[in-house]
Amino acid sequence: MELLDKLKILADAAKYDVSCSSSGSKRKNNKGIGNTYHSGICHSWSADGRCISLLKILFTNFCIYDCAYCINRVTNDILRATFTPDEIVDLTINFYQRNYIEGLFLSSAILKSPNYTMELLLETVKKLRDEKKFNGYIHLKVIPGADPILIESAGKYVDRLSVNVELPSNRDLKLLAPQKKRESIIKPMGAISNKIKEKREEVRKYKNASKFVPAGQTTQMIVGATEDTDLNILRLTEILYKQFRLKRVYYSAYVPVSKHPNLPSISTPPLLREHRLYQADWLLRFYGFKANELLYSSKPYFNVHLDPKSDWALKNIHLFPVEINKASYEMLLRVPGLGIRSAKRIVTARKMNSLNYEDLKRIGVVLKRAKYFITCKGKYYGPKNVNIDKIRGMLIGNNYNLKYKTSEGQQISMFNLYPSVLKNMIVIL
Amino acid sequence: MIYYIYDGSFDGLLTAIYESYYRRENPVKIFAENDFQQNLFIPKVHIKTHKKKAERVYNSIREKVSRNALRNIFYAYLSELPNVGTWIYDYIKLGFKVKEDIDKYLSDKRVSKIHKIAQRVRHERHLILGLIRFKKLENNIYYSQIEPKYNIIGLVSPHFAKRFSDQYWIIHDVKRKIGSIYNKKEWIIKDISSIKEAIKYDKNELLYQKLWVEYFINIAIKDRINPKLQMKNMPKRYWGYLTEKAYNSKEGVRTCKL
Ligand code: SF4
Repeated sequence: MELLDKLKILADAAKYDVSCSSSGSKRKNNKGIGNTYHSGICHSWSADGRCISLLKILFTNFCIYDCAYCINRVTNDILRATFTPDEIVDLTINFYQRNYIEGLFLSSAILKSPNYTMELLLETVKKLRDEKKFNGYIHLKVIPGADPILIESAGKYVDRLSVNVELPSNRDLKLLAPQKKRESIIKPMGAISNKIKEKREEVRKYKNASKFVPAGQTTQMIVGATEDTDLNILRLTEILYKQFRLKRVYYSAYVPVSKHPNLPSISTPPLLREHRLYQADWLLRFYGFKANELLYSSKPYFNVHLDPKSDWALKNIHLFPVEINKASYEMLLRVPGLGIRSAKRIVTARKMNSLNYEDLKRIGVVLKRAKYFITCKGKYYGPKNVNIDKIRGMLIGNNYNLKYKTSEGQQISMFNLYPSVLKNMIVIL
Repeated sequence: MIYYIYDGSFDGLLTAIYESYYRRENPVKIFAENDFQQNLFIPKVHIKTHKKKAERVYNSIREKVSRNALRNIFYAYLSELPNVGTWIYDYIKLGFKVKEDIDKYLSDKRVSKIHKIAQRVRHERHLILGLIRFKKLENNIYYSQIEPKYNIIGLVSPHFAKRFSDQYWIIHDVKRKIGSIYNKKEWIIKDISSIKEAIKYDKNELLYQKLWVEYFINIAIKDRINPKLQMKNMPKRYWGYLTEKAYNSKEGVRTCKL
């Protein structure tokens, strides 16, 4: 098969993996090819609006497993292809030298056995690093069930590793991916996390200790292929950040790829749910929120109409409005509409002179939503005779109602919601 | 009321700032020659660029104000906006007064103006780091054309000098007719008003262009097509030089005629 045809098939098969980030690593160009850029660089944006930073491909889409939600499952009748390590090396180097990409994101279905596949992946990254002296970014997917020694050895060559959780609950995993064991996912995550910690300490003590997965590990969960609540997913997310110190958890709205009795029959991917999860994930990581502040057993799903922070603020309206010249940084972060950048700028600017409403605009704070929750020098700039229903009405706005079929949180056509998520993903990490 | 006119160079702008302090004048506006529109009723002073004077201003900004302020000024200058000379002058006057605290006065118009412009230049610089597309030529030179809004080739060159330290490369700003040229040791910016020889691709160049284009097409999820989002992240004005957007199957990406 021609290289071009392989690339078509194996890029197409890799596209459901959300991550394309090239951030978190400071690899230098050591008389070879390339380096990494700490905050990551997007090189293009595909027709779905997602950032293209890495050459994201599968090594093969032949698979011995039969995961119901996956397009590559053995029982699916599709075109199949397998790269050779040299082909991938050649593509990566030539794309990189033309500045198409930041590096490689290599994943794979399972050919013959987990170990056999993992060895092929390892061979590929070794070639890149050792033979070609390639110092660009490499993100490698861990094959569930592969020998821990192989995984550890891969960790020495790559910038980022990921083990995909795929399905939030064990029961679903049994139902939809019968050959995958929970342990084969959780175990390597724990091992990688421990090794990273160990190496960090080594690096602190000895200057030239070798690197291990400098950009950390990430994972991905499919949203909407099972009956998990948002609460379940968010709780699991919190555990993954705390226990395994993951760099990122990605969510992927389930794109219907098969008609399996155990899968829901939906016509479009649940993009709004995915969007809300990203918003909440952001709140966990950078805004000091805990999962149980946003969702709890009597409220297991996100509000369809409101972003999680606004939703939280309305439930805690007794804390507002806050005075912009006095509120702590932590509290500013909890004001709907204020991001990290805005909160920081407020804290800096108010040291010089106390801020009025116009000042806020001038320093670049967007007040569209924030104005309902703040005062400036004691003055409130929201509507007169304000009450919580009024604020809710204003926040939701007319256009939101038009865009959503309100009865179903999942069947939503959306243009303007999705963008901000992706932009954040790209710019901040 | 008085206007200062400088030659458009960064040194020229700094010289103008020097003169205003030296002559104890308060020019209302500082313009680059090209941006200046005649106004008969306002007295003008033509500033002659003077390296030493520029250097003194440069050093005193760095030492008495801050490195950060100097960077902001330089980035803002590269925006080439017609009024930017005046805005920089206003900003730095405040800077000499409040010293290293200048960039904390976020609610001051003079500061927020410069920050906003510098930020836009910084944003484009970052975007261009990703959007530059090199084409490998017959003689092993990796050649790229761009038409950035702001004058940023000097800002992106250090990145590529580190990253592609072992490649000959040229980044050609077609709009400004200048190019950054790297010889595996150092990069310099030169005028490129015309290229005499025809540009010939390396024999494998078209193959990789084609592979990249196919990759680009196949990595998109069809159920999620979102052209608005794509355009928001990657404005159309850059598409003309993007391999994946400007590709045509016979000749690949044509380079702009000069
Ligand atoms: S093992 Fe991976 S590639 Fe194979 S069917 Fe399951 S999810 Fe798909």
